Amino acid sequence: MKFNDLYEELFYKALSIRLVEEKIIELYPTDKIESPVHLSIGQEAVAVGVCQELRTTDLIFSNNRGHAYYLAKGGDLKEFFAELYGKNTGCCRGKGGSMHLAATDVGFMGASAIVASTIPHAVGAALAAKKLNKNHIITSVFGDGAVDEGVYHEALNFASLHKLPIIFVCENNDLAVHSRTTERQAFKILDHAGNYGIPTHYCAEGYDFTEVYRVFSRLVSEVRTTRLPQYIEIKTCRYMEHVGVNEDYNAGYRSIKQIESWKAKDPLMNQKALIDKFKPSILKEIEEAVMFAEDSSWPELTDLLTDVI
Amino acid sequence: MNSLIDKFSGSVLSYREALFHAMDDALSGNPKVIIMGQGVTDHKGLFGTTLNFSSKYGRDRVLDTPLAEEALAGIALGASLNGLYPINTHMRVDFSLCCMNQVVNLIAKYKYMSGGQFECPMLIRMVIGRSWGQGAQHSQSLQSFFAHVPGLTVIMPSHSDSILKDYHYIVHSYRAPVISIEHRLLYDVKFNIEQNSVYSNDDPLSSHLVRNGNDVTIVATSIMVLEALRAAQYLSTNAGLECEVIDLNCVSHPDKEMIMNSVEKTGRLIIADTSWQAYGVCAEVCRIVCEKAPSLLKVPVLTLGMQPATCPTAKTLEDYFYPNLQTLTGAIARIVSGKTNHGIPLPDEHSMADAYKKFRGPF
Ligand SMILES: Cc1ncc(C[n+]2csc(CCOP(=O)(O)OP(=O)(O)O)c2C)c(N)n1
Ligand SMILES: [Mg+2]
Repeated sequence: MKFNDLYEELFYKALSIRLVEEKIIELYPTDKIESPVHLSIGQEAVAVGVCQELRTTDLIFSNNRGHAYYLAKGGDLKEFFAELYGKNTGCCRGKGGSMHLAATDVGFMGASAIVASTIPHAVGAALAAKKLNKNHIITSVFGDGAVDEGVYHEALNFASLHKLPIIFVCENNDLAVHSRTTERQAFKILDHAGNYGIPTHYCAEGYDFTEVYRVFSRLVSEVRTTRLPQYIEIKTCRYMEHVGVNEDYNAGYRSIKQIESWKAKDPLMNQKALIDKFKPSILKEIEEAVMFAEDSSWPELTDLLTDVI
Repeated sequence: MNSLIDKFSGSVLSYREALFHAMDDALSGNPKVIIMGQGVTDHKGLFGTTLNFSSKYGRDRVLDTPLAEEALAGIALGASLNGLYPINTHMRVDFSLCCMNQVVNLIAKYKYMSGGQFECPMLIRMVIGRSWGQGAQHSQSLQSFFAHVPGLTVIMPSHSDSILKDYHYIVHSYRAPVISIEHRLLYDVKFNIEQNSVYSNDDPLSSHLVRNGNDVTIVATSIMVLEALRAAQYLSTNAGLECEVIDLNCVSHPDKEMIMNSVEKTGRLIIADTSWQAYGVCAEVCRIVCEKAPSLLKVPVLTLGMQPATCPTAKTLEDYFYPNLQTLTGAIARIVSGKTNHGIPLPDEHSMADAYKKFRGPF
């Protein structure tokens, strides 16, 4: 795909993720994807803006809302759908599913469905990079919910203490399932992270991939040269229910107004000309990936006990 | 003692409804009871089991919590030592691993290592997930981890009666920490509440003989009790075999005499657990029989549980991973006939989850 400028490229990538997620919504009632799905709709721009400046050799660690990062980091779309379908050709051979995507070939180091559990892995990867004199950098992505967990604090402290080449990215959608940050945290995320001696940054425009890219790429160059940790909180908005393919605006735990004002700023909902320009080729790619998943074979009994040890 | 069963006897309650009423009974019956857990105040109310309690009993008694499992378990301990009765909840057993330190090193030991100065009664509820791609970290069944540790009482209710009876007793009368491991697939199963069932007549925190038979003893936990009963029914109708089924219920303190009496009668033993066989309930029940009277067994024991792997997400693999009605009836037919080619026609059911209302969330 040829792009006129970086904006188009970022738009294309973000729109691809949105359309992939919408395809999942469309497929879900057929029961072909037999697993819980934590959709990234509304949060795609964060993943795209973060991953743009990262190299294939740079590593990223994610969580169970990981579709957007897998794709933004360059994970294969066919293997993605095959994994969701539970097929043999999936990126994890059907054993991981939506919550546990992984693609080492592009530096997508796996996703865990235990909140905050991959943050220390990212710190460990940064420790290895430092000790082995590698020049790649590590990104740890987590939600505002992970900030509640003790292991997050222990990991931040270690990264700062040992001066490791890592960027912490807090995707703040203000929600852990249905609980707002104000109901869970008595502190300010950035003030607190800053107290570990890690420089902190804030991006309020998580719907705007160019702004996320602008801020994040500076951090990437910073860490490439200094090899010291950085921290960024990016405000974002989850459009769908926590898990599943529906909206739940009537559930009463958050403000519909706030979601609507976010949607009004979302380029993927408003820039009709670009959507029309790119949609056909993206949909074609998605159709091919879905066909690949459909045509692939199931894992068999002989696969059940492989890769245990 | 049986006030909850008395109250609902004659009615039909789903497992979920029984949990709701047990929580309601806990909060209304004792002002010191508090419930702390993720999502207990939201519109889903922990799968409907704490729905609207924060408005009914106040947000200072029904607390949504930060994602801080270890601290919460410790906070429950501190609160319990000082007069509150905490009920701490985990939407999945898997998440409770984050608080293992507090549970194993502190909660289980606080009374003993203080020479009995302290008691820390509390209830920790956790839910086993299964089917619809729960996968590696939303499906584990870790009763043996907890039951291994002296100081913890671990139950796995398989019936609404068990919940009504045991929870009422635990919250209002039992002075030690209890871990209750519930099963997500049971939540929508409906049960008749009866005043004179084994559940209402037996002691709380014990095992229950739920079916009489002479051919084989099946000791089962949680949803495997229902599976054992389905298999027993099938074989009774189709092959004239009669299985005796024991609902272990209190896995940390099972009724050993009940198990031995049954094995003495049948001479054959199958253990069907929701977890891995190695080092778990299957192994423990074997230990009980081997230490007491192994010669009662006419044939080697058979065990059923999860395959020795991480739970895979793909449905095809998940169906191989868990036992189903076919594997269970096959095992029974084999052990009773003593032959692999027993000639008993087996039911054509490869996915147990399909037999329950197909579970596809909410999670
Ligand atoms: C240790 C642990 N506790 C609880 C859960 C249940 N859970 C799954 S996702 C989630 C919310 C996570 O919120 P956040 O980190 O902000 O990510 P988001 O879902 O908003 O993307 C919770 C509580 C879990 N998976 N692991
Ligand atoms: Mg969040």
